[in-house]
Amino acid sequence: MKTLLKNGRLLDPSQDLDTIGSLLIEDAQITQVGPEVELDDATEVYDCEGLWIVPGLVDLHTHLREPGEEHRETIKTGTMAAAAGGFTNICCMPNTTPPLDNPALVDFIMDKASAPDAGGAFVAPVGALTLGQKGETVCDLAALKKAGVVAASDEGGPIQDSAVMLRAMEYCLQIDLPILAHCDDLSLSRAGAMNEGATSAMLGLPGMPRSAEEIMVMRNCLLSLHTGCRIHILRVSTWGAVEMVRQAKYLGAPVTCEICPHHLCLTDEAVGEFNVNFKTTPPLRTQVDIDILLQALGDGTIDCIASDHSPYAPYEVDVPFEEAPFGMSSLESTLGAVLTHVTHKGVLSPLETVRKLSTGPAQILGLEAGTLQPGGTPVAQVTVIDPSLQWTYDVNRTFSKGKNSAFHGASFQGKAVATFCGTEIYRDPLFDETRYQSVLP
Amino acid sequence: MRSLIAIRHLEREDISGILEQAKQMKAAILAGKPVDSGPPRTIGLLFFENSTRTRVSFEQAASYLGFRTVNFSGSGSSMRKGETLKDTILTLKHERLEGVVMRHWCSGSASLAARHFEGPVVNAGDGQHEHPTQALGDALTILERKETIDGLRVAIVGDVAHSRVARSNAWLLHRMGAEVRFVGPRSLIPGHTAKLPGETYYDLRNGISDADVVMCLRLQRERMESGHSVSAGEYRRLYQVNRSTLRAAAPDVMVMHPGPINRGIELDDLTADGHASAISDQVTNGIFVRMAALRWVFSEPRSAPAKKKEANV
Repeated sequence: MKTLLKNGRLLDPSQDLDTIGSLLIEDAQITQVGPEVELDDATEVYDCEGLWIVPGLVDLHTHLREPGEEHRETIKTGTMAAAAGGFTNICCMPNTTPPLDNPALVDFIMDKASAPDAGGAFVAPVGALTLGQKGETVCDLAALKKAGVVAASDEGGPIQDSAVMLRAMEYCLQIDLPILAHCDDLSLSRAGAMNEGATSAMLGLPGMPRSAEEIMVMRNCLLSLHTGCRIHILRVSTWGAVEMVRQAKYLGAPVTCEICPHHLCLTDEAVGEFNVNFKTTPPLRTQVDIDILLQALGDGTIDCIASDHSPYAPYEVDVPFEEAPFGMSSLESTLGAVLTHVTHKGVLSPLETVRKLSTGPAQILGLEAGTLQPGGTPVAQVTVIDPSLQWTYDVNRTFSKGKNSAFHGASFQGKAVATFCGTEIYRDPLFDETRYQSVLP
Repeated sequence: MRSLIAIRHLEREDISGILEQAKQMKAAILAGKPVDSGPPRTIGLLFFENSTRTRVSFEQAASYLGFRTVNFSGSGSSMRKGETLKDTILTLKHERLEGVVMRHWCSGSASLAARHFEGPVVNAGDGQHEHPTQALGDALTILERKETIDGLRVAIVGDVAHSRVARSNAWLLHRMGAEVRFVGPRSLIPGHTAKLPGETYYDLRNGISDADVVMCLRLQRERMESGHSVSAGEYRRLYQVNRSTLRAAAPDVMVMHPGPINRGIELDDLTADGHASAISDQVTNGIFVRMAALRWVFSEPRSAPAKKKEANV
């Protein structure tokens, strides 16, 4: 089997490649990439003229909900959503039921993710930092690492006790496991439902002050600086949080951070008349934050973009705003939102966009992904993007079980039209079929 | 048919229309004459939060209108058995109730209820968002003592941050042309007031200086006791509306309170019971504006262009 992606714009930040060329996948491996690809007997050809050929996208922040919350998402539906969103690698968060705090659960997830009926994207589990995610006793992290977790996290249950976080960092430093840190001072934000500001005051909704996020970003940065433990700050949302990260990097702390698309294009005013689809944690902030976050994305302070895919069942979100859960189902909207609100607005070049969505996150966790170099990944991981395709995001056409999204009905420019992980795992209905030719007998 | 969710959504004409109707209804009732109540309706009183005074007021209003009321209280019903608000509302709809009066502890719950009920919903208090009929009753009370609301200086004193009464009153007074002031300690005034129609004062005497109306808000004892606000003693010293502090206000100032009063904290006895106090009128007028509000939701909206969703401050 020889698959040729022909005459596209090759964008590979791992080798600073931005050129028109072709890519050959032979028996699930990338064997040739570049302006000159020698081939005379391809079994299938994708004409990629006008399209981008990029390393499969990598998401450091996905909630697959399995085990225990299969009414929201399953590993199968979540990986299908990932493929449709252009992702070939996703890291699943440990706040499941029960939490991912022992090796048996890691096995369970990896088995399910590699089953033939799953979506085809690789799943890299992230282990819980503390037993039961209670924020008290650090898990057997060496055993979890041996079972296959790529990081440990307190996502969904931010560790409040600084001494516990310090112990966790010392432990992770010793076994060389990065920490994905959920930064939220619950004593300030626990009762809140949205950003504390003029809109929350008008609606009478309890606010989540920006300092709740910033205090914990600062604490975790300082603990990282003093221990030397690698930490990755999950989804920053305020200008203050980003300034904390900038300062920590300047001081030499091994810190990286990510941002979600909705924090780059939506403000707390979008909540409107109590629209639960705009309830996220951290909450949507203000235009001042967006302006500085975009700047920080451009100057490299923000290392990557993540989806924070948080699907919920419809009945869980059709409740009063204060009682609704936080987050949105976003694997299938992330690329469109980023291309529309970041790339096409000139904040990031196409190559830098791919760095934030693929090569960057892969490097943060040392994943074998984010590159088009032959042999750089276990199997070929390639996403074909139509950067100019106009489309409307419709939750009724998504693979994810979660239909909660701030982007329902939004117009996007740019979409993943084909995703390869070894073989083709997704082809979009909007992909022009005349571009595809198969010469199989 | 329409719902009454928030004063913030109303135009000045809507408000004056309801107030005018309430005035007429009050006159008719006091004269023992029949009121123009439209066709009889059956409405549900759905109180997720206990509130004797508001529920009684709606029951009185409904009975003067010749409406039938069906009571659903928070305890002992399916509402405590894990049923979602959506399902409770759908049940009421299919019980063939024609309207719903609802109080709920969540801000925004009234609009959710209206979306699912697909008929008139009157918000009787949703979380810390709005309590429109309280503000309408207060406005009627002001109009009985002052010729117009336009141009009045009104100080709203106390726990503005957590008060639906404060929000509804502020919007109503603003729409009718009054100057609104929020007065209270920093812990009880929202940190961001750009989208609320009023100026903030942290000093009581400055805040009520030359005020024509002083509206006190109820303090929640739990909030004071848990240390989330100033103590009762400190509040009394700094923010109590009494004979001494009221000297800063206009000579013919009227004093209001939505009740229940923490006597000796928000107000002293002399002020609560004195001639400036309009507190008992507020209670009585609550009935007549609720009659008018029920009448209003069952009437057809003006054929004006679609109403503004987002109100401008």
